[in-house]
This record gives sequence, C-alpha cells and structure tokens, in this order.
Amino acid sequence: MNQSKIICFLTLLSVTSLGVMAQNNFQPYSQMGIGQLDEGYYNRTSGLGETGIGYRSNRFLITNNPASFSGLANQYFTMETAIRGTFISYSGTPVQPAGTQSADITFRKLVMGIKAAKHWGTSIGLVPVSTENYEFNVPYFIQGSNQAVSNHFYSYHGSVNKAFWANSYEFFHHLSLGVDAGYVFGDLNQKDILQSTANGASFTSTSNDIYLQNLYLTYGLQLYGRIGKHLEYVIGGVYSQKSALLASPNKQVLNPDSVTIQNFQNPDHYLYLPNSYGGGLSITYNQKYTWLADYRYSDWNGVQALNSYPGQDYAIVSSERASMGFEVSKKKNLYNSTVELSYFQSGVYYSNSYLAVNGRQLRDMGVSLGIGVNSLKSPLAYNIVFQYGIRGTTDNNLIRENYMNLSFILNFGAVWFTKGRKFD
Amino acid sequence: MTIHNPTKKLLFFLSFFLTALFILSACQKQPALGDFGNSYIDDNKSAQIVVVDTATIDVSTTFVDSVSTAGTGYLMVGSYNDDWLGKVTSRSFFQVAPPPSLPAIDPRIDTYDSIGMIFFFRPGSPYYGDTTQYQTYVVNQVDTLMELPPFNNGWFSSYLLPTGPDLGSTSVRIEPNRPVSNGTIASNTSQGTGDTVRIRLDDQLGQTIYNMVYNKSDTVKNSTKWLRWFHGLSLSPGAGAPANIINGIKDSCIMRIYYRENALFSTEKFIDFEFTNKNVQYNYVTTDRTGKPIAGLNRPTQTVQPPPLTPSAQIGHAGYVQSMEGLNVKLTFPYLNAIALRRDFIGLLRAQLIVRPVPGSFSQIWRLPPQVGIFTTDQHNQLGAPLPSLGSGGAQTGSLIQDYFNPLNTVYTYDVTNFVASQLINPSPAARQTGLMLAILPPAENSAFNRLIAADQSYPVTQRITLTVYYISLFPHN
Repeated sequence: MNQSKIICFLTLLSVTSLGVMAQNNFQPYSQMGIGQLDEGYYNRTSGLGETGIGYRSNRFLITNNPASFSGLANQYFTMETAIRGTFISYSGTPVQPAGTQSADITFRKLVMGIKAAKHWGTSIGLVPVSTENYEFNVPYFIQGSNQAVSNHFYSYHGSVNKAFWANSYEFFHHLSLGVDAGYVFGDLNQKDILQSTANGASFTSTSNDIYLQNLYLTYGLQLYGRIGKHLEYVIGGVYSQKSALLASPNKQVLNPDSVTIQNFQNPDHYLYLPNSYGGGLSITYNQKYTWLADYRYSDWNGVQALNSYPGQDYAIVSSERASMGFEVSKKKNLYNSTVELSYFQSGVYYSNSYLAVNGRQLRDMGVSLGIGVNSLKSPLAYNIVFQYGIRGTTDNNLIRENYMNLSFILNFGAVWFTKGRKFD
Repeated sequence: MTIHNPTKKLLFFLSFFLTALFILSACQKQPALGDFGNSYIDDNKSAQIVVVDTATIDVSTTFVDSVSTAGTGYLMVGSYNDDWLGKVTSRSFFQVAPPPSLPAIDPRIDTYDSIGMIFFFRPGSPYYGDTTQYQTYVVNQVDTLMELPPFNNGWFSSYLLPTGPDLGSTSVRIEPNRPVSNGTIASNTSQGTGDTVRIRLDDQLGQTIYNMVYNKSDTVKNSTKWLRWFHGLSLSPGAGAPANIINGIKDSCIMRIYYRENALFSTEKFIDFEFTNKNVQYNYVTTDRTGKPIAGLNRPTQTVQPPPLTPSAQIGHAGYVQSMEGLNVKLTFPYLNAIALRRDFIGLLRAQLIVRPVPGSFSQIWRLPPQVGIFTTDQHNQLGAPLPSLGSGGAQTGSLIQDYFNPLNTVYTYDVTNFVASQLINPSPAARQTGLMLAILPPAENSAFNRLIAADQSYPVTQRITLTVYYISLFPHN
C-alpha cells in the first residue's frame, strides 16, 4: 500500500471522527458558554495531568505547545489517535436517585506530524475544543391553561472542534518557535421539544443553532538544553491570540409533522475566544526521570463584554489551570541508539473553569496515571491513561461530577522520504 | 493470521479501533438530573403552545321543512311532548300486497273469522320517549292512490295522505330492552306475544277481501289492481294526549285474514297480505312548537331557498339537532382569523370543538343522539363534506361521553383542526358564513328521534359549546 492510499484512508478517518466527536457524556454545565471546554490533549502528556508546555519528544506529537514539533526525529512521520471512555457519578440536590451515573466512550482526536526538514517540524490534526451534551425535561404549562399537558424536552448537542496546521522551527539547537494556525468551527445546538406527557409525541420543536467559525492562532516557544551531564531542561510558553468567532444563529421551528413552519436566519455576531497565556517547565534527569509543571491563564474577563452567549444566569470569568507531572522512562540501547521501551507517568491538576454558576466558579481537579509501551516489532506505540477528577460542587444547588477517564492513545511512527538512505 | 507489513498492521488496528468505537459509543447511559439547567435557558427563545378557548361561536339552527323518510325499514309511530321541541307526532304509511297464490276456499264449508294487523318490534329497533307508557295505535286505510305528486322524487315527512275511518286500534306498551337469560335483551309487548303487536281490524273489510279471494277476483290476483283498489294503510298514534313514546316498528308487517277450513276437523287458516313496496313506506312527522323555546324558529318563505337560519338567541339560547324534524346546528366563528393575526402566532397545532347539551335537556328518557356528525357548510347552509379528524382522517361522530350522574360532564368532542387551519387563511368574503354543521348521521338521521339541544355561549364557560385552539407561539420572532 502506497502513501497516497494511506493519506486517503486517514482523510476518511478524520471525516469520520468529526461525527463521533460530537458524542459525549452528559455534562450539565455544557449548556453554558460555548460548551464544556476540553482540557485534554490525548497525547503523551495526558498521564502527566496534561502537563506539557515545556515538553519535547522525538516520537510523539506534543500538541500542548506548537514549538515542540521541531523535536521530532528527522524524516519521522507520526500519527496519533485517541479514544476515551468516561464514567461520571453525579451528586448534588438536583440529582435524582433514579440516575446518578453516566458512561460513554468517544473518539477524541486525530493528529499527524512529520519532521519535514532538519529543523522544521509540522503537524496537522483535528482536536476537540468544546462539547455540548445535556438533556433534561421540564413540565410545561400550556399558556392559557392550568393543565400541564406538555413537557419541555431540552437537548444540547453540539461540538466545537479545531482543525489545525502547526509548524515549528528550531534555532541554535536550543530554541524552537512554533505557530498553530487553527480553524475553529462547530455548532452549538439547543433543541426544545414540546411533547405530550401522555405518549411523548412531539407538538412542536425549536432548534436554536449557532454556527461558529474563525481562525485561532497559538504561538509557542521552547528553550531547552542541558545543565551539567545529567540534567536536561525545557522551558516553554504559549500564547493564544484573542479571536472573534463568527457566530451565525439560526432558529427553526417544526410542527408535529416535522415540517418547518418558521426558519429565522438572524444576523451574524461574534463570540470571542480570549487571549490565553501559558508557561511550563520540565526537568529530565539521566533521560529517565522527568518532572513537569504548567500554568495557563485565559482572559475570559477581557472578552466578557464582547460576548453574548446563549442562556442566562451564569457568568463567564477568567480561567486558570495548574498542573504537575512526573515520568519515569525505561530505555534500552540498541544498535548504538537509545530506544525507549516504556514509560510510567503520574500527574495532578487543578483548574478554575471559565464558568461561574450560582455565584460559584466551577473547579476541576484530579489526578492521572499513565503507562506507555513502544513496540519494537512494529511502528506502534500504546499509551493508556487513567484519570480521576472532581468537577463542580454540590454547593448552591449545583452538581458535582466525580469522573473517571480511561484513554487509549495509539501512535504510529515511520521514517518517510529516506530515498534508500538509512535512518540515522 | 499474521500481518507482517507494518502499514497494513496499522490499518488493521485502526479499523478494529473504529469499529469498537462505534459499537461502544452506543452504550451511553443517561443520568437523571431533574430539571437542572432550566434556570439558565433564555426566555422566549423557543416556541410555546398557547391555548385559546374564548373564540366567539355563533350558534344557529337550520331548518328544512321536510326530510326524506321513505324506506327506512321502520314505521315510526307515536307522539310525545318535548319541553324543548314541543309536541312531536309521527305516523306511517305503507302498503301490503295479496299473496302470490290464493287458497281455494269453499264457501259452503269454510267460514271467515277475522282480519288483523301483525306488527313486530324487534330488539334494536329505534324508540324515543318513555317506554313505560302505553301507546294507542290506530290503523286506517289510505283514501287515495299512494303516488308521488308531480315533480317529486321521494316520500317526505311532510306528505299527508287522506285516510278513511279507523279500521282498528290497540293500546300497548312496548319494552324495547327487556332483559332475558344469558345477559341478552329482547323486546316485549304488553300483549304477551313476545315482540308482536296485534291489532284487530274491521270485519267488514275482512269479509270483503275474503270474498274477493273466494271469487278469485282480479283485484287480489293482480297486485297493481289491488293497490289501485286498496291503496295502503296508515298506522298512527291515537288521538288525545301524547303517550310520550315513539316506537320504530319493523316494516315487515302483515295484514292477516283468518278463516276456518271445515272438514272432518275444523282447521284455522289464514291468508297473509305482506308488506310491499318498501320505497313507498314513509313516516309523516308533525310538530306543534307552540309555547316552546323553539317556537321562534324561522321557516322557509319560498319554495326553493337555502335552509333558513335561526340564531340561538331567538330560540332559547340553544341550537337544535334532530334530523327527523329537519333541524341541524350551524356553527360559525366570525373572528377566528384574528388568532392568526396575533403577533406570536406562527402555526396551528390543533383545534378541538366541545359541544355540550343544555343542562337538564336530556335524560334516560330524552336521550341524546349517540352519534352526531360534523360537516363543513357555507353560506348556503347545506351539509358539506364530513370533517375528518386530524389523526385518523375518518368521519367523526362526536365520541359522546355521557354522564347522567354529572350531566355537565356530558360532551361531544370533535377534532376541527383541518377546518380551523383552512379558516385561518380563508380570504373569501363568505368566510364568516363558512362553518360547521352538526347533524345526525345515517341511518339514524331519518329513523331516530334522539335530539341534541346544544348550549350557546350565553351559558357559563363549563356548560357551553367551546372551541379550543392550540397554536404554536413564538415571540419575539427571532
């Protein structure tokens, strides 16, 4: 099978993954803002609490920082995809005993990268930005009547994704600069179905869609080098530039026969993604032990006045996230080369999200454990990450989610464009 | 299977990966988080349902001075005094024919005995009124040829034929629903002969016909000549105060001549003149509305004209449905299209018409029609097409809910979504005269006297006819 066939297959895979990304766990806060932001990268850093602004790899795609791609091995093509299973346990006043848990499994990303030249690494991919997935029922009293003969079935299903092309270039063997040119696109959908309480038949439904699109640029920098004989360091920084997503609202009302009776194309407006800053550091000892730390800050307050998100009675506030990780890598010398066989990771993280509901900014904190195996007999590498976290609170009539994620990340690597020469 | 090619290995792995993903993603569980999230929804962002049940309904009664009552299968005979409709009387005209073959009678030894009518009231036959009352039935001979007047194409309820003197009568009580064994019912008469009513007729007539048989007269050998001579019979209620019952006697009646065949043993014999010409049998219905609320009913003033309308306010604030008397109810909705002009209206969901009888106008004696049809109508006040329901698409019968214990719960209900949908956008100048007609459905429309007195909008909300319109509302429209 030649490379063009592989490209076709991977394109098909990407398109397929778009549909699957839209599915997700029930996330009660995802109805707000632009949905629940996905803080995961689903890569080598996932077991480190997604800590990786200051992390470089010669095999894996570190999408945490676009400057990292120059760290790939020469002429090395690599591709990663990920699947995540999630189990969530809900608690809080609104939660009913009949259903306190949810679980599902979803496709998360598809990313490819190659070291295109000696100092130039490039990557393309499709990754999630946010998702909406929530449904609930509210009894409805028909206006003009005191009989609750109907029921509001609200459903929020949407996703915002990013297709990106990132490039990084290495200068002076100790500095890498990168740019991630992302095209953010997606649909926030709120559907309100008025249905019969007797038999569930639909009386009418209203679908409010907001289609989003625009470029979102992220700049990255990494400084790296050695301190003495045993220590290596990487200092990283990222900056995402505020972007105005073109929002095209559309409202469609259907009658019981699902025939459109009103379709409004409202004027376009803009929803802003904020300026976001991040810094990270990693220290590696003897190419075996690595300590990492990250901090990110997103200035949602700065775009608060510009935005008009769906919904009411919640606030958009600046968010921050801090994380730390530790990794042990097991390597072996083969044919004058050092080859990594496996690695073990752990991480912790804490974040204040961009949503404040009922006067409380939602928090998300947790721990992660990861294990990775790089096959010597095939070009595949496998990474399994377990994550346990707590999101939200039971205070102020809110819902707390205790969640467990189990991610499986698959990496494929091959040396391309060798022209018969041996890979050095 | 061993795959050595690394690329193929990758593709194999990815295929497995994706297949597993799609299968597993169907396993999503859903939690129950109550209505959490309801507080965070934008107001007025989605369509709502609004109900309007205050639409003005003009209730009118249409009247046609006669209805076709021929060939219904029943001799509707009796009389009752209705608090709403007045005195209603019905009598029936019919014909009998001599048998195809006549017996050989020997006047030297055979003797005439008597002549009588035999009527049958079968289980399930229509009746209306107080079944505990005795009704007097009188038989007369029609005194003219039973032929339709020129330019008439059927026997109608207004045709009265002259009759001769009374030939015979009887007073009888008919119990139409007498329980018998095995949970079934049977009709029974006070004559003690099951469902049979017997009336002895004048012997002079019987002797005359007996002699014709003996003489092999052409009059009894040829049915045409027989009808020219005999004409027909009339069965009518006796004079005097109404007995308050009209019974539907099966048309398969018999005029029987009894005689004795005297030989070694004397044997009772009879000659049957059976019911004939089903299409000529008809019922003549008269009403006397003096002093009743319906006395103000508008009557036709011309030979040919649309059935006149009488507003409910003129006739006791009610609409009257009784097809035997030519009464139907027309409903118009003069301001219906104002609903579509509401700022929040974007579409009709459904519409329901609830027809309530006037409280106290019905009982187990003065029964409601079990089925009342609904038809479209226009400025010509004629019955149009049956109005189909939205779901089934079939003709509607009102789905009567009858509650004698709580009479106010008694309602007829119709889905009028299709009608309202068309009226909301009806640009015709005659739109205000376009409406719905309530009428008794066949076959009861000319064989049953059950009537509906529908309350107009002068009655309290819970007791009157109501149009409930559910529409889809969106405001503001963005």
